[in-house]
Amino acid sequence: MVRFSGLQKEVLSLYRDCLRAAFQKPIDRRQHWINYIHSEFNKSRNIPRRDFSTVEYLIRTGKRRYEMYKSPDIKDVL
Amino acid sequence: MLSIKSGLRTGLSKVILRTFATDAPAYEPNYKNFKVYRWSPDHPEEKPHMQDFNLDMNETGPMMLDALLKIKNEVDPTLTLRRSCREGICGSCAMNIDGRNTLACITKINKTDGKEVKIYPLPHMYVVRDLVPDLTLFYQQYKSIQPYLQTSKPPPEKENLQTIEDRKKLDGLYECILCACCSTSCPSYWWNQQEYLGPAVLMQAYRWMIDSRDDATEARKQMLQNSMSLYRCHTIMNCSRTCPKGLNPGRAVAAIKKSMAFE
Amino acid sequence: MLTRLGLSVRPALAPVLRSTIRPTSQIAYRSLFIKTIPQPPGNIIGTVNDAYATPPPKVFAGSRHWTFERLVTIGLTPLVVAPFITGTSSAPIDAVMSSLLLYHCFAGFENCIADYIPARVFGVWHSAALGLLFFGTVIAGYGIYVIETTNNEGLFGLFKKIWTKQKN
Repeated sequence: MVRFSGLQKEVLSLYRDCLRAAFQKPIDRRQHWINYIHSEFNKSRNIPRRDFSTVEYLIRTGKRRYEMYKSPDIKDVL
Repeated sequence: MLSIKSGLRTGLSKVILRTFATDAPAYEPNYKNFKVYRWSPDHPEEKPHMQDFNLDMNETGPMMLDALLKIKNEVDPTLTLRRSCREGICGSCAMNIDGRNTLACITKINKTDGKEVKIYPLPHMYVVRDLVPDLTLFYQQYKSIQPYLQTSKPPPEKENLQTIEDRKKLDGLYECILCACCSTSCPSYWWNQQEYLGPAVLMQAYRWMIDSRDDATEARKQMLQNSMSLYRCHTIMNCSRTCPKGLNPGRAVAAIKKSMAFE
Repeated sequence: MLTRLGLSVRPALAPVLRSTIRPTSQIAYRSLFIKTIPQPPGNIIGTVNDAYATPPPKVFAGSRHWTFERLVTIGLTPLVVAPFITGTSSAPIDAVMSSLLLYHCFAGFENCIADYIPARVFGVWHSAALGLLFFGTVIAGYGIYVIETTNNEGLFGLFKKIWTKQKN
């Protein structure tokens, strides 16, 4: 089993939180959300694992966007 | 035909102009170097760096903000900074200029010394972009001290009056514009900003504590009654030194400690 | 570790670092042995619109602790100065002086620990540091007891002895 570092665990937990929030969205828009989450995470896929400050920055902003988007008032994303 | 005519006309005007011409002094530009902190969230993998800007001081306004806006308008439109009032009353353009936290709009450029100027965002804050720091935590802390009048009495019909002496107590406190210059200059706030409230917020807490119309003084004191919120202040006094409005947050914090001493 | 504290994309202080703005040793901070508690992103607890929640009031960690520290320091001043002026000291006064001095040092180090090894980030290490400090203080207290019972003028007498010996 792969042992993740603390930072990697944080990224994974953010990813899981995002997916969980996506499943709270209306069922016909759910695929939009999942695609969006995948594309956003894939954008920074190539960032080196040891580039801590960058990864931390991305977690920070990602968390903030997650909190904004998870509001039930926001139904769809493009 | 037409070209001959117009050529004649310009030739004539040149002759006329020449008769009025005097010897113009040679233009001497007065360059000053500005080193500005740059970091863009669009490329988070790129590390922050300092960018040099050479400005002709003869064509720049007197203040640092003028120089920054000149850079933004004429050299690099991607330079990002907060600014609003350009007269030191909004506190938006707080930044670290030549090692001192201050407002760019009321800091003069020394145009004759020829030294370079270094401009950073407020120290020890998360950077949103270039010179824009993230002040969310600062505002959360400000919110936590409940900066509004709390009274048990029913509101009076007209104004809520104060004696002249009571009003005088608020002088030097109410002028704070919450630019966060003092808090971000405080080493205690650098190390423990998650728990220590910082001079700016504590000064506002004091401003509401001594307000004669406010009845929640006890509750306000109770909120600071722990080892972190207030007592991380070690009277370093960077706050009073750096305040661009000339206020004294250090004194206000000391006054809170004194008023709480025998509780 | 420092990146955990949130020093990641922060600018360093201008006067401290003149030529380079980013310490290249950032990764080195991380490779410290001590495991720290992860902090919330951007140090923000709750949403951006929530107020910061202050901890429950504790008088003995707050104002009383502060007042006690000041009283000890004020009381310490004449006790430290007096033997130097009079040139002599008695065991009970010296005992009071050295125990107050010990508390003064203890309180100072306690503040250092609260500042630089906060429980918020270091968890058990904070308690360990406090325990070590307490242990050291107890040993120093025993040392004071030994000095006061064996030496005539206590700590001040010891001082005087070293002073004169160095002069010879």
